[in-house]
Amino acid sequence: MVISPDQINLLTGVIGFLFTLLIFSYVLGDNPLFRVAVYIFIGVSSGYIAAVAWWQVIMPRLVYPLMSAIVSGSMIEMGLMAVPLLGALLILMNASPRLMGMGRVAMAFLVGVGAAVTIAGALIGTLIPQIMGTINAFDLNAATTRGIGFVEAVSNGVIILVGTVLTLAYFHFGARPKADGSMHRLGLIEVLAWGGRVFIGIALGAVFAGVYAAALTALIERISSLINFITSLLGNFL
Amino acid sequence: MANVIKCPVCGENNLSDQEFCQYCQARLQPLTGNLKGADAPLTPGELPTKKSTADLEAVLPQWLRDARSSAREASDEEAIQAAQAPQVPQTPPASFGADLLAGLHSQGQAEDDEEEYTPDWLTDITGEKPKTKKSQTESSEVRWVELGDKKDFAQPEPASDTPSWLTGITPPAAQQPAEEKNDLTDWFRDTSDSQKPISFDSSPSTPPAGEMQDWLHSMGADEGSFNDSGSTADEPLTSSDTPDWLRAMDAENAAKNAAPPLSSSGVPPASSDTPDWLRAMTAENDAPSPSAASSDAPDWLRAMDAENAAQNATLPLSSSGIPPASSDTPDWLNAMTAENDAPSAASEDAPDWLRTMDAPEKSQSADSVSFSETASGESDALPSSAGDTPDWLKGIESNASSSDQDWLKGLQSEKSEEPAQDLPSWLSATPPPAPKQEVPPPAPEQDADALDIPSWLKAAAPQSSIFDEPDGEQQEPAGAAPSSDTNDWLNAFKSVEPETPQSVPAFSMEQPLDSAPPAFVDDAQSSANGESLFTEMPDWLSIVDDSASRESIPAPITNVDAIAPGDLPSWVQAMRPVDAGTPQPVSTSLSGDRAVESRGALVGLQGVLPAVQGFAPTSKPKAYSIKMQASEEQLAHAALLEQILEAETAPVPIGSFSVLRTSRGLRWLLAFLFFAILTTVLSMQTQIFSMPVGLPLEVSDALQVVQSIPEGAPVLVVFDYEPARTGEIESAAVPMFDQMILLRHPHLIFISTHETGAILVERFISGPLAGHNYQSGVEYLNLGYLPGGQMGVRAFAQDPVVTAPYALAQSSNLLNFALTPAWNLPPLQGMTSLSQFAAFIIVTDNAESARVWIEQTTAAPNPISEIPFVVISSAQAAPVIQPYYAAQQINGLVSGLYGGALFEQNNAGRPGTARNYWDAYSIGMLLAMALILGGGLLNLALGLRDRAAAREAK
Repeated sequence: MVISPDQINLLTGVIGFLFTLLIFSYVLGDNPLFRVAVYIFIGVSSGYIAAVAWWQVIMPRLVYPLMSAIVSGSMIEMGLMAVPLLGALLILMNASPRLMGMGRVAMAFLVGVGAAVTIAGALIGTLIPQIMGTINAFDLNAATTRGIGFVEAVSNGVIILVGTVLTLAYFHFGARPKADGSMHRLGLIEVLAWGGRVFIGIALGAVFAGVYAAALTALIERISSLINFITSLLGNFL
Repeated sequence: MANVIKCPVCGENNLSDQEFCQYCQARLQPLTGNLKGADAPLTPGELPTKKSTADLEAVLPQWLRDARSSAREASDEEAIQAAQAPQVPQTPPASFGADLLAGLHSQGQAEDDEEEYTPDWLTDITGEKPKTKKSQTESSEVRWVELGDKKDFAQPEPASDTPSWLTGITPPAAQQPAEEKNDLTDWFRDTSDSQKPISFDSSPSTPPAGEMQDWLHSMGADEGSFNDSGSTADEPLTSSDTPDWLRAMDAENAAKNAAPPLSSSGVPPASSDTPDWLRAMTAENDAPSPSAASSDAPDWLRAMDAENAAQNATLPLSSSGIPPASSDTPDWLNAMTAENDAPSAASEDAPDWLRTMDAPEKSQSADSVSFSETASGESDALPSSAGDTPDWLKGIESNASSSDQDWLKGLQSEKSEEPAQDLPSWLSATPPPAPKQEVPPPAPEQDADALDIPSWLKAAAPQSSIFDEPDGEQQEPAGAAPSSDTNDWLNAFKSVEPETPQSVPAFSMEQPLDSAPPAFVDDAQSSANGESLFTEMPDWLSIVDDSASRESIPAPITNVDAIAPGDLPSWVQAMRPVDAGTPQPVSTSLSGDRAVESRGALVGLQGVLPAVQGFAPTSKPKAYSIKMQASEEQLAHAALLEQILEAETAPVPIGSFSVLRTSRGLRWLLAFLFFAILTTVLSMQTQIFSMPVGLPLEVSDALQVVQSIPEGAPVLVVFDYEPARTGEIESAAVPMFDQMILLRHPHLIFISTHETGAILVERFISGPLAGHNYQSGVEYLNLGYLPGGQMGVRAFAQDPVVTAPYALAQSSNLLNFALTPAWNLPPLQGMTSLSQFAAFIIVTDNAESARVWIEQTTAAPNPISEIPFVVISSAQAAPVIQPYYAAQQINGLVSGLYGGALFEQNNAGRPGTARNYWDAYSIGMLLAMALILGGGLLNLALGLRDRAAAREAK
C-alpha cells in the first residue's frame, strides 16, 4: 500500500494534534498523558539523534574514511583515522565507572581544545567587538552612514554607555568594612550599581518579553495548527 | 586441715595460703622472698658452705677493724722484739699464733668494749693465750720439746695471745717452762699448733682441722653439742660460720704465727667473769698453803693440782721459773699455778674434781711428759714409755669404761703422791725439759693415759684427736658414754646437744700414737691446717687473715671474692634456723608460685610476684568517688561551654519565603483565557490589529542584506533551533527566505549544529517554502549535522569542505540518510571556504548558538566579516543578540513574529503567517500585559488593604 502525501499529512496532523493536546494537558497538572507525550518525544528524539549521529557523523567521518584508507592502503589515512577512533573509544569508556579513567584522556583533549576555542572566540568575537561597539556608539559618522541622526546616535550612545557602565558597576562587589563592622561598597559604586540595576531590570524585562513573545507565538502556532487540522478535517467532511 | 598463720598485727588466725590478713589486711606473707637457699634448713652436723666474703671487711665496725689492725701491729712489733731478743732464739710454740681464740686477748687489750663481744665462758674454755707465754725467757727448747719442731716456734707470738686466765697457769717459757704444763690452756694453745700433741693426748691421731671449729661452732650456734671428732672429722670445714669477733681473732692469730715467742710479762687483767670458785682458788693459790688454795675447787681439780705439783717436782724447768700470777690470770688458774708452785698447798676451796686432779698430777710429775704435747706430733714430743704413764691413766686405760669420778679419784691420789706437780702436764702444756731437738715418740701408753681425760674436758676441748680416734677412722669409741658423775656445770656443755649421734667418749683411744698425726697438730706453716682452723670464721676474715699472715697487707678485693648474687654468705648460712625435724608450715603464696626471679631488681627473690596476670589479693578494692570536684564558677563555665557546643550543632531554621505559586484555578483560568482568546482569534482569522509599521535598523539591514544577495549566490544558512520553536522561527524566517528566493534565487546551503536541524531544514523547505520548489542538491543543499559544537563551528569556519564533506540526499523518505559529497554538488561547486558565500544567515532560537557562530566565524583565519551576516532568531534571544548588531558584528537581526511581520510587510504580505498570528499575538501580548498589570495592581490593592486593616487593627 502506498501512502499518499495527503494521508501522510493527515496522519502527521493527527499525531501532532494528539500530542499537542497531551502537552496542553499539563495545564491541568502533571498527568500521564503529558508524561506519555514527553516520553514519546524523548524516545523519538533519541532515536533520531542516534540515527543522525551514526549516519551523519560516524559513518561519513570515521567509517568511510577508514574503509577508504584500508582499501587504498594508505597508512597515513589509517593513522589519521585511528586518532578519532581511539578518542571515540576512550570517550565510550565513560559509560563504565571502572573504565571512566581511560576516557578522561579524550575528555581532557575535548575540554582543552574547547576551552581554547571558546576563550579565543569570546575574546575576539565578543569582548573586543562589544567594547569597540560601545565606544563606537558615539561615532556620529558611522551613525550618519547608517542613517542615524545625531540626537538618536548620541542618545543611543549615551544609553548604551551609561547602561554598560552602570551594569558593570552593579557587578562590582568590592566592599570595605565599616566602623560598625558592616560591609558596604563605595558610595559611588553604590549609586552606579543602583543605575545598573535599572538597566539590568530593563534588559531582563526585554528578555522576559522575548520569552513571552516566543512562547506566545508557539502557542499561537499550535492553536493555529489545531484549528487548521480541525478545519481541514471539517473541510474534508463538510 | 589447712595451716594457719597468725597475723602479726591483729593476732587473728588466717589460712596459710593467704597473703593478707582477712581481718586487718595486714600482709601475712613477706613481700620479698627468701634468699636462695635461705629457707633450706640446716641440719645438725651440716656445715655452711664456705663463701668468699673478704670484700665485706670494709663494712666492719670501726672498733673491729681497729682491733684487727692493732692486733696485726702488735704481732709485728712482737715479732721484731722476738727477733732482737738473743736469749730467746726459740720462742714458745708458735702454735699460739695460730690459736683461734688468741684474738680475744688482743681485742681485750685494744678496747675493753670488745670484750663484751667475747663471751667469757668461751674465753675461759678456749683458753685465750696468756701473756706469760710471751716471756722471752721461756726456753725454746722446752717448747720445742713439747710442742714440736724448733722451726715451728721460731715465730714470735704477741703477749696478747695468751688468755688472761691462762697466764697464771702458763709460766714464762724462759723461767719456768715446766709450769706451763700445769696450765690448762696449754692444750688449748697447742690446738693451734697441730703438730704438737698435747701432753695428755694419748691419741696420736691427727685431729681434723675443723674439729676445733666444730665445737666452737656448735657453741656459737647454741647447739651446745660438743661433737666428737668422729662426727665431724670427715666433713669439710669452712670458716664461713665464724663470727666477726672470731675472725678478728683469726687475724691476730695469723699475725702471731709470725711472732711465736711467748711472754709471761704481759698478763692481761683478770676477767671479771671468772667464777667465784675460781677466784677463790686464785686466792688460795696466792696463799702459800696449797691446801687452802683449792678448798673450793672441785675434787678432780684438786687432784689435778696434786698431780701438777708432782710433775713440777720432776720437771725442774717447769717448777722453778713460774712468775707470779698475773692479775689478769683467772683466779682459779692462778690458784692452780700457785698450787704448782707449792704442791703441798692444795687449795681446799678448789672443787673436788680439781683437787682430785691435783693428786695424780703431782704424782705424775715425773711422768708429765705423758701429758705434754709432742712438739713434732711424732715421737719427739712423747718420749715417755709405758712406764711413764700415770697410774690414773693406766687405770683408765685398763678400764676405759670407768666413770669420770673414778679416774678423778685416781688423779687425786696420784697427785698426792707427786706433789711437785701442781698441775697435770696435760694442763700445763709445758714442754718437758728435754733440750733435744727431737723428742722420742710418745709411747702408746701415754696415749692411753690421755684417754683418762674427763669427758667434760674433752667436750669443752676441741674435738681433736686427743680424745678421739685417729682421723679417718671414725670408729665408735669404746665406752663413749659420758659419765653421769660429771659435775652439772660441765654437763651443761654436753647437755646442749645430748643427741649427738657419734659422740666419742673421752679417752677412747684405740690406735697407737704414732699411727696417726698428733692431736692439736697445727701446722702454722701449713696452709691447709691453718685454713682448716679458721673454717669457722667468716670467709672474708679468713682470707684477710691469710693475706695478713703473709704480707700483713689486706688482700685486695677482687671479683673472685665477691659473693654471687643471691648467695648467702656462709656466716648467714650459719644463722639459718636449724631443721629440728619438724617442718614448719610453709606459707605459700596465693598463686603457689615459688619461682625464683631471674631478672630485674627482684633477681634471686622467690615468690614476689604472682605468676598469673591480674592475680591480685582478695582484698576488696577501695571505692573512689568519681564526682568531679569543681566550684560553682567552673560548673557555670562548663555549662556555658556546653550550651555553645549545642548551639553549634543545633540546626538553624532558614528563613524561607513563601513561594508564589499559581493556584490551580488561576492557572486554569489563565489557560482558559489564553486558549479561548487565541483560539477565537485564530479561528476567526481576525485582523484587528494592524501590522507593525516602520522597520527597525536591524530588520532594515537584514532586508537590505536579502536584497543585496547576488542572484543564485550560495547562501549559508545555519538552522540551530529546537523543533518546539518552529512556529516562531518559521514565522520570522519564512518572509525573509521567501523574499530572498523570490528575488535572488540563492543556493541555500543548510547546516546545523543541532541533530534535528537537518530534518527542520527539510521541513522548512518542504513546508513554508514548498511553493518555491527548491530541490536538494540543486537549489539547496542540506549538509546535515555539524558535530563538535564550537570546535565544529571553528573547524567549519576554517575548512568547511573537510568538516562537512557530505550532504543529505534529498528524498521523500525522511529516514533516508544517504550521504553524498556536498562540495561537488551544484550548490557548492567550486567553493572551498565560507568567504565564498554571498550571505551568512543564522536561524536560531538560542542566543548562545548565535554567539558561537558569530565568535568563531569572526576569529577564523578567513573571517567572514565581509559577508553579510544576518541572524533570524527567536524573540527570546533577540535581547542578547542585539548588542552584536549594535556592535556591527552582524548586519541584520530578525527576531520573532515581530520581525517576520515586518518582513511580510516588505514582502507583499507573503506568506501571511505573521498576519494570521498577529492578532492573536497582539491579543496575547495585551492579555499578558493586562494580566501582569492587573495582577500587580491587584497585589497592590491587597497589600494596601492589609496594611489598612492592620492600621485599623492598631
